Amino acid sequence: MGNVSAKKNDVKKTEKLFGLSAEEYSKISELLGHEPDAFELGIFAAMWSEHCSYKSSKVYLKTLPTKGGKVLIGPGENAGVVDFGDGDVLVFKMESHNHPSFIEPFQGSATGVGGIMRDIFTMGARPVANLNSLRFGSFSHPRTPYYLSEVVKGIGFYGNCMGVPTVGGEVVFDECYNDNILVNAFTIGIAKKDGIFLSSKCEEGNIVVYVGSSTGMDGIHGATMASEEFDLKKNKKRSTVQVGDPFTEKLLLEACLEAMEKKLIVSIQDMGAAGLTSSSFEMADKSGKGMIINLDAVPLRTSEMTPVEMMLSESQERMLLACGRDKFGKLKAVFDKWGLNCVEVGEVIKEKEIRFFYKSKIYKTLAVDTIVNGPEYKRPVKKPEYLSSVKPLKADNYKIPENLNDIAVKIITHPNIASKKSVFTQYDYTIGTATVIPPGFSAAVLRVNGIGAGKKGFLLNASGNSKYTYLDPFTGGALAVTECARNITACGGYPVAITDCLNFASPEDPEVMWQFANAVEGIKSAAVKLNTPVISGNVSFYNETAKKEGDKTAVHKIYPTPVIGMLGFIDGVENAVTPYFKSEGDEIYILGRLSGNLGGSLYMDLEYGNFMQKPSEIDLDYEVKLQNCLRSLINKEFLKSASDISEGGIFVSLAESAITCPNQTLGFTVNYDTSISGVRIDSFLFSEFEQAFIISLDKKLSGRQKAAVLEICAEYGIKLKKIGEVKKGVMKINDKIDLKSDKIKEGYYSAI
Amino acid sequence: MNNKKIKAGITVFPGSNCDADVYRVLNDVFGISASFIWHKDKIKDLGGYDFIVIPGGFSYGDYLRSGALAARSPVMEYVKDYASKGGIVLGICNGFQILLEAGLLSGVMLTNNSLKFECQDVYLKTLNTETPFTCALKKDSLLKMPIAHHDGNYFAEKKIIERLNDKNAVIFKYCDENGGITELSNPNGSMHNIAGISNENANVMGLMPHPERSSEKILGSEDGGYIFQSIIKYIKEK
Repeated sequence: MGNVSAKKNDVKKTEKLFGLSAEEYSKISELLGHEPDAFELGIFAAMWSEHCSYKSSKVYLKTLPTKGGKVLIGPGENAGVVDFGDGDVLVFKMESHNHPSFIEPFQGSATGVGGIMRDIFTMGARPVANLNSLRFGSFSHPRTPYYLSEVVKGIGFYGNCMGVPTVGGEVVFDECYNDNILVNAFTIGIAKKDGIFLSSKCEEGNIVVYVGSSTGMDGIHGATMASEEFDLKKNKKRSTVQVGDPFTEKLLLEACLEAMEKKLIVSIQDMGAAGLTSSSFEMADKSGKGMIINLDAVPLRTSEMTPVEMMLSESQERMLLACGRDKFGKLKAVFDKWGLNCVEVGEVIKEKEIRFFYKSKIYKTLAVDTIVNGPEYKRPVKKPEYLSSVKPLKADNYKIPENLNDIAVKIITHPNIASKKSVFTQYDYTIGTATVIPPGFSAAVLRVNGIGAGKKGFLLNASGNSKYTYLDPFTGGALAVTECARNITACGGYPVAITDCLNFASPEDPEVMWQFANAVEGIKSAAVKLNTPVISGNVSFYNETAKKEGDKTAVHKIYPTPVIGMLGFIDGVENAVTPYFKSEGDEIYILGRLSGNLGGSLYMDLEYGNFMQKPSEIDLDYEVKLQNCLRSLINKEFLKSASDISEGGIFVSLAESAITCPNQTLGFTVNYDTSISGVRIDSFLFSEFEQAFIISLDKKLSGRQKAAVLEICAEYGIKLKKIGEVKKGVMKINDKIDLKSDKIKEGYYSAI
Repeated sequence: MNNKKIKAGITVFPGSNCDADVYRVLNDVFGISASFIWHKDKIKDLGGYDFIVIPGGFSYGDYLRSGALAARSPVMEYVKDYASKGGIVLGICNGFQILLEAGLLSGVMLTNNSLKFECQDVYLKTLNTETPFTCALKKDSLLKMPIAHHDGNYFAEKKIIERLNDKNAVIFKYCDENGGITELSNPNGSMHNIAGISNENANVMGLMPHPERSSEKILGSEDGGYIFQSIIKYIKEK
């Protein structure tokens, strides 16, 4: 692997300081006027951790577009909020739970899902759909089946019990994740515009109330753990993983929404990373207030807990809220009904400090500013050395294989291409009676239930391509955004806003920081062009593992993995288009243009064992025109199917269009004149992420209708080229590909 | 559809999560007057309702066994009383499991033979149309509905199965799209492909698939609607 570099292992030192650097430690001593004691150190370490403070990423995140369009609330709250019309708003966010999921995949992924759902209902929104984006090690790695099965079980365990449908996501295998799997979880919820709750609304004299599960010893130092690399020799981090109870969270959801409906809550935040510490300090900070916190009142699972343990526990299914003193009785009645703790633990005060009481005495007072205003770094960046060898592909150096059938089969049954049905059928995707297009196609399409909801719907997609980001971080970042948009547009929707989950190795490595800076720049460029502001997100650094290899220590780093979750809207949800062909005889077209660049493709990897070439850059202006053109064709109801061209290239788009229809197996005959286009046959078949779509039109379209189609394409300046027809049972392309649809279907659905 | 005069009660336990779906479909799609019954509500009896639905979900987090704790909840005493007087009771998914645990239906649910949660569309064959739940259907009708469960592998001892068959109490079986009752079309390992059974009087039915998720065209199937239409027909003709 090219991304392995030796690095001195300094785990011992960081463990002593809970992940703080020596400089940070002296800074804290300076701020306090004395060396921190265990309590202070614990709180600083959590709040100044990369996970909570975004200290290495903040300078870049600030550059992202966060306003405009339909955005009501951007980053900074528990989740972002988008206007959905008719007084409705949608609230969404994606978050990583990578480190816990590698240590304990079932609980790690389950609590990742639980945590992101809490972020949504904290805002007053009822969660209506989940997505997830998963990365596992090489499919043939001996531990991969274990991680895959446990992570999927964990996600299902939590989401299914909560009654929130999991409607889509991605599953990708690559050896760069052998020692660091990624679990990114996305939730979207719906609320009324005037029913949004924030963490910044505490008022002096409010009482501070703790609701939900009792506090236990689980997850202590979770935030600092997630801000460190792994060292596989020691496996002592298990107690840093939280344990989830979705049943309690379901009760907490119903209780919180009921209390909100009854207007009993002033301000609220969930206890996620760094538990009581982050919720109390952040609420106080955002409200411009302080708090008294009485640690004696915190409901505990064990009496042996010290103040710092109470503050750092990441026990799940807990919330901190502020409520008017006169409303507490009614609030308690709601939580009593649902059988949950509801305990007064403090008060909101004017002075911007938190005063902790323990054993009935004042225990410690900490200034809010000092704790929340952690360091901010502009870390050194350096263009990675490996990039100097990533050059544009010279196709002439590679012969076209005699037999393209074999490689085509290899690609369509590759674990990263083949159907993930065995994964998503473990998630309840039909609950909520809103799923119009289920998982397994372009984007998930959901309708809105309720009287007067009309025909509006929304679309969700999560995408990211780490291999391309590794080869070209800017393009990879932009591609994650455009790929989501392509999937949404292919269904007939229009992109609205995004959330990002940025998974990288150590920010202390200048090469990683360079990847990060460029990937964010790519996301920014695409988000600006596509008019999809970034309304929430999360950064996960330190996805790397130090391993002993011989007498050296090598650090295995993941590829830079930015993942985007995108929301789109659609006006007539019943007209949403699916990617699969509908009837024999329909005409197949390419809408857009082909680069024919095989650089970085799966084909190059599988056929030649070398994918280290430069991928195509994305022409964002063209992309916008292309997607507008496609959407226009769909809105006029001319198309029977539309599919983008992603990993695996046109062959995979055509094959999937032929075999993914739920009640029939189709096929195609395609003829593509390589002599006119100058694109050779293997480039045509397997070039990835082309700025083009495969669409099918009804064979019975009248001459006038066809002219109208051409007119729309001309209006946007987009080429439309007929390449073939839908045929039953066979897949034929020129005289190079000749396969049987049912055989391909069998392989496609049984590979994983 | 205006069926406002028909009153349906939907039980709600801690952890029920299909209650809102059933409520919406009964009210908005079928025009019935449906309302929730909180498991601890202090009520006299359920006599005011034309039928009761025990919806799906994870009542009590499936702790102990699916449905075991809910079956011992106060409202189930009223449901038992209601059923004994001939009241119509439909248990869906977790509701089916609760009916088994409450002794209103015979048999048990084991974990799916895949040992996994299974969410997918299945086909059901209608075996008995002389029940309040199937009277709007023709014998052998095929219905497409989704399942979404972890413990839907119906099991009962031979004596019980014989009795169910004698009394025509096996109402639905999993089948393929052509109506063939095959091993391949059995999504969870259920004995004899059993998907839904009734009690001997046929006024209580448990069904693993979700009719409320397949009552509207836009969701891919309206077949589940026949169950609710049957109940409406039965009540109107009573």
